[in-house]
Amino acid sequence: MTEGYRESVPVLIFPRQTFVSLLVFALAWETLSHLAPYLGIPPFAIPSFVRIAKSVATITPIDIVVTLARVIAALIVSFLLGVAMAMAMYRSDSLDKYLHPMIRLLMAVPVVSWILFAVLWFPGVEFRICFVLVVVCGPVFLIDTLDAMHGVPRDLRHMMQSFRPTTWQYFFKLMLPAILPTIFTSWKVNISLAIRVVTIAELVGAVTGIGHQLSVAQELFSVADVFAWTLVLVALLFLLEAVVARVEARVLRWRV
Amino acid sequence: MNSPPPIEVRGLRKIFRQTTTGQAVVAIDRLDLDISPREVVAIVGQTGCGKSTFFDLMIGLEAPTEGSLRIGDKSPHFDFDDFRGRIATVFQQDRLLPWRSALDNARLPLELIGLPESEQRERALTWLERLGLGNFTNAYPHELSGGMRQRVAIARAFAVGPDILLADEAFGHLDEVTAAELRETFLELARECGSTAILITHQLEEAIGVGDRIVVFGKSAKLLADIHVNQWTKNNHPLLREAIQSTLQNNQADPRLSNIQ
Repeated sequence: MTEGYRESVPVLIFPRQTFVSLLVFALAWETLSHLAPYLGIPPFAIPSFVRIAKSVATITPIDIVVTLARVIAALIVSFLLGVAMAMAMYRSDSLDKYLHPMIRLLMAVPVVSWILFAVLWFPGVEFRICFVLVVVCGPVFLIDTLDAMHGVPRDLRHMMQSFRPTTWQYFFKLMLPAILPTIFTSWKVNISLAIRVVTIAELVGAVTGIGHQLSVAQELFSVADVFAWTLVLVALLFLLEAVVARVEARVLRWRV
Repeated sequence: MNSPPPIEVRGLRKIFRQTTTGQAVVAIDRLDLDISPREVVAIVGQTGCGKSTFFDLMIGLEAPTEGSLRIGDKSPHFDFDDFRGRIATVFQQDRLLPWRSALDNARLPLELIGLPESEQRERALTWLERLGLGNFTNAYPHELSGGMRQRVAIARAFAVGPDILLADEAFGHLDEVTAAELRETFLELARECGSTAILITHQLEEAIGVGDRIVVFGKSAKLLADIHVNQWTKNNHPLLREAIQSTLQNNQADPRLSNIQ
């Protein structure tokens, strides 16, 4: 074993099962779209892929950018707030005891209730959407981070303390690297959550974004448009997850 | 390196309260002990005799309930920050940070005392090379054997050039050959660096083989025997071993030890 002996060999395996299941779904959909008139289903209910492709072609990139910006901004705010509060609660037992039940309570409130509260409380659309996303994603970051901090092995904490670090050194050289794997998992969970929540939040009151476009498609009874925008949402989710997975693989390269 | 300060323990008591029952447990009961600069002391005792509590008090992570433990004119607990870079520890398990390479683990205490990065790397590299790990500086802990990981932990302790080196059962979990080899390296380096070294162990052979002094702890760290190693003790190894064993079993000094002491 010598320096630099580790090699990362990217292994590209064709996802056969995924491809087959998607193909079966697409064929079933396409067949149904052609059979719909004979089955008594209105033709617009199951549009063909040609019709969906036409809808995809009319997609406005600005709405994608707006939704993406909302999601990323809210996730960053949620993460910073969540981690800061987790650090405070980790350092103060009494703060933890007071805040923990409240956080659990916030997490139990349904997303729809938060959207209604936001509409009733705040006038600005952007603030409403950000509020809903932060109040839903923030507690997830907080609880995950706090649990991970409590899970740092006592042996490592003891070793680190024996070298007498400052509070910042203790956090940045031990706690942060130790909780990073959990933080990445939390980001992946929250990206999926945020994409779903932002869509619902945009359905109510927003005049831009994918949620708004879905609302317009619903008013026009255009299943093809709904399908097209849903595809965009799914692609967006996969893209964001891929970015996080890439960063994770780089940052946590020490893991087997 | 300046001479490390003497260690003075007077009437040291440490009492813990059990979380569930609230019952008081006396881990250390009125211990008096002096350790001279550069001395290599092996503290031996049975499991649960207060050795590890003494270790934590020496590091400064625990406060004495009564009495005092002073290194020079300072307390490692109450003057905690004054001992940054002056006390280094080797634990039973290597306790390496899994996300850091061997080199980065070895330079951790140097980062904490704020040395320039180039100096950190140079010093850590020197110690890893001295411990035979020159070809493994970029390896992560999971890529090293148990003995190699413990070598990195030793390099981490020595890199900072401490006044006092503490080893808590540091070689007990390794196979006999590796443990003996590492123990020898550790002592050789400790003597070369002029540090005071305290080795805590429950293994008699280890205690007899390493120190200038063997301190025998009974229950609640009661000082049962304090043996200065000399030519006589070296020549009468089996007798010494037997006498210490009997002392530990009966929790009182074996009469044969009074002749040795």
